[in-house]
Amino acid sequence: MRLHPMTLRILALALALLATVLFFSTQIDGYLSPRMFTRITTSAAVILPVAVGQAIVVITRNIDLSIGSAVGVVAYLTGDLLGSHPDLHPLVVALIAMGLGAGIGAINGVLVAWGRVPSIIVTLGTLALWRTFLVQYSDARTITTASLPQWLVDLPQANAFTLLGVDVRVTVVLAVLSAAAMGLCLGRLRAARRFFAVGSNPDAAVMAGINAGVVVFLAFVLSGALAGLSGFLFLAKFGNITVVAGMGFELKAVAAVVVGGVSILGGSGSMLGVVIGTVLVDTIDNSLTRWELVSEFWRDALLGFLIMAAVTVDTFMSRQLTRFARKEG
Amino acid sequence: MTVLDLQHVFKSFAATAALKDMSLAILPGEIHAIVGENGAGKSTLIKIMTGVHQPDRGEILVGGAPVVLRGTQDAQAHGIAAIYQEPMVFPDLDVAENIFISNRAEGALMNWRRLYAEAERLVEKLGVKLDVRRAASGLTLAEQQTVEIARALSLNVKVLIMDEPTASLSAHEVARLLDIARALKAQGVAVIYISHRLDEIFQIADRVTVIRDGSHISTKPIAEVTPDGLVHDMVGRAIDTFAVKTEAGPHGAPVLELRALGRTGVFHGISATVHAGEILCFAGLVGARRTDVALAVFGIAPATEGAILIDGAPVAIRTPAEAMAHGIAYVSEDRRKMGLAMTLPIFANISLASLKKLMGLFGLIDRKAEGQMAETYRKQLAIKSPDIGVEVGKLSGGNQQKVMLAKWLETKPRILIFDEPTRGIDVGAKAEVHNIIRKLAKEGVAVVVISSDLPEVLALADRVLVMREGAQAGILPIAEASQERVIGLAAGHDMRGAA
Repeated sequence: MRLHPMTLRILALALALLATVLFFSTQIDGYLSPRMFTRITTSAAVILPVAVGQAIVVITRNIDLSIGSAVGVVAYLTGDLLGSHPDLHPLVVALIAMGLGAGIGAINGVLVAWGRVPSIIVTLGTLALWRTFLVQYSDARTITTASLPQWLVDLPQANAFTLLGVDVRVTVVLAVLSAAAMGLCLGRLRAARRFFAVGSNPDAAVMAGINAGVVVFLAFVLSGALAGLSGFLFLAKFGNITVVAGMGFELKAVAAVVVGGVSILGGSGSMLGVVIGTVLVDTIDNSLTRWELVSEFWRDALLGFLIMAAVTVDTFMSRQLTRFARKEG
Repeated sequence: MTVLDLQHVFKSFAATAALKDMSLAILPGEIHAIVGENGAGKSTLIKIMTGVHQPDRGEILVGGAPVVLRGTQDAQAHGIAAIYQEPMVFPDLDVAENIFISNRAEGALMNWRRLYAEAERLVEKLGVKLDVRRAASGLTLAEQQTVEIARALSLNVKVLIMDEPTASLSAHEVARLLDIARALKAQGVAVIYISHRLDEIFQIADRVTVIRDGSHISTKPIAEVTPDGLVHDMVGRAIDTFAVKTEAGPHGAPVLELRALGRTGVFHGISATVHAGEILCFAGLVGARRTDVALAVFGIAPATEGAILIDGAPVAIRTPAEAMAHGIAYVSEDRRKMGLAMTLPIFANISLASLKKLMGLFGLIDRKAEGQMAETYRKQLAIKSPDIGVEVGKLSGGNQQKVMLAKWLETKPRILIFDEPTRGIDVGAKAEVHNIIRKLAKEGVAVVVISSDLPEVLALADRVLVMREGAQAGILPIAEASQERVIGLAAGHDMRGAA
């Protein structure tokens, strides 16, 4: 049987994850424990929605660097809102958070799709703008657990179910569900296939009667909404929100996406890959803090290295593929 | 009953009339060939039929009813689609998805099983073997075309326009494409077949229309035309704008010699000698790979076979720097992409290839000398601009061409290659550029001109090398180069006896 390149990619990724876990289990005492599983999954759950959103944007041949600030702004504003309106229904709170994020994404989307400004510039700008907005708005106040309703404070510890003595938290289920839903949409919804078409060949997409502007705009709105969900999970997990909330999430999300096999040139990628990529990036991130041999300040360097390695492998492989195709033809 | 009918269509771009009183009637289930010289208006005609452009005047009828086509989607809705020489596919999507990407009739959810089954059915209908689950990125050009044709079929087209579909296909693939065209015809689809290749047209067309200078010249059943007659209809123009050269000018020793020059898969077997003071013109239809020969000589896409000799000695040219070291200059056809830095001023563009000469103290550029250099050329070539500090992007096409020429003249070339030197510039500037080229030759430069403009070729050349599909179709002294002879060679039909 011939393996699809994407299947191959995901298998390789799963193997890399397994190798990483095995490696750290020899380095860190008590690594293969239910506690460590919970620690890594709950931490990855906060990143996963932004990574999924980032993947959609990257598939359309764009990038969203503003999500770090978007997560921070949404987490802070939502926490602030709960301080004054503690009786809001949890579902309403989550929807408000996603709505805020979608609004931030819509601004990016308009500028990229119709303003024709390259997405890297637009979102680099909004990354800085929203962070400054947060600093000004917060006036150096910190959201604390004390001002949050009890259900939110309890949410990170809430168990969805226990499997073989391993706890799976509600937040993890929420994050995985959002990824699964997006994965299903991208694979099954006819309209969602346009994200791939626009990223794969923008000229041909227009010739095929696809409104590329709307498609790119929607990708940014989705990315924003999912950043909103991440902001909500961030608020729940940490409780204390300062002006640096969500800083550096863009790096983690881009790393998760490219490691997960989404082509940085647009047009291809799978949600399963993004999920594994996120878990891999977060496993490394969390394990490094406990590894005595290496200072945890190397975490960012390793993330950077992972991004470059993943893209280098991609470029190399696609070059080989083109050469192969040419020989055949 | 016609399936598509154009009546008295006019279309102009700025001051240029691209289509003049064009009428064309297409019958259901016929293969209708359209032929014409470079710039005869074929591209505009296609764009009118596919809704990319709207006619200034005149009517388009589909199935007898007048319609307005506002875009490709509109045209598709009326059953008109086109495939091009360079297919438009989505490399990351699989074949089946590529086929159905424009299909709006389906539901909101993807039914992958049905999608693949439908795609297989369509591909089978074309009599082709193709794995519909493969990603489009690995497909050959011919296979990509098949995908596009299947896409058109999925939209239930009644008229399929094929624009130079065989220009980059191998003989075997051409045969298969012609079979596909016949299969479409058998299903009642009208095929509009646009090609430079007369042999293909005589193989499959039911009727053939000749267009020239944006006007309809003739439409006849294929049985009533001969290749000679078609070529005459395609040319049929009296040259009045430029005097035709009848005799080669005097010239000196051989400077540039090409011996069976080739580049794998692009062109092959080009042999010619250019003497000092001689102008050699490359004629041929668009896509005959003339520019690729120039790119090989200039080292941008080096030759892989044959030899280049300069002053009788073989040389290896692998980069533009090496070509320039041998005294070769190449004035590109694409001013925007390969020729000029549009945002830089005139003087910086002119000095770009000769900065070494301007190095002064500590290797810094001597701005005064740079200015003088530019000023000299502004006067000599009559570049119309208030001063040499104007951004090149703000000049007219003709003046941009002169700036580019100045840049290369400053390198004091012995061999000067012009690629479409007058494309997109007005008649006055054209005559000036021609005079500059003639003057350079008179001064002893070996000149090569690539031109798709036949009157220009006949006005400049001492000898004409005609290319066809990457090969040398013939090389004629100017005295033997009639319009008919050149066009005939370019289209694969030598009219030696007939002319």
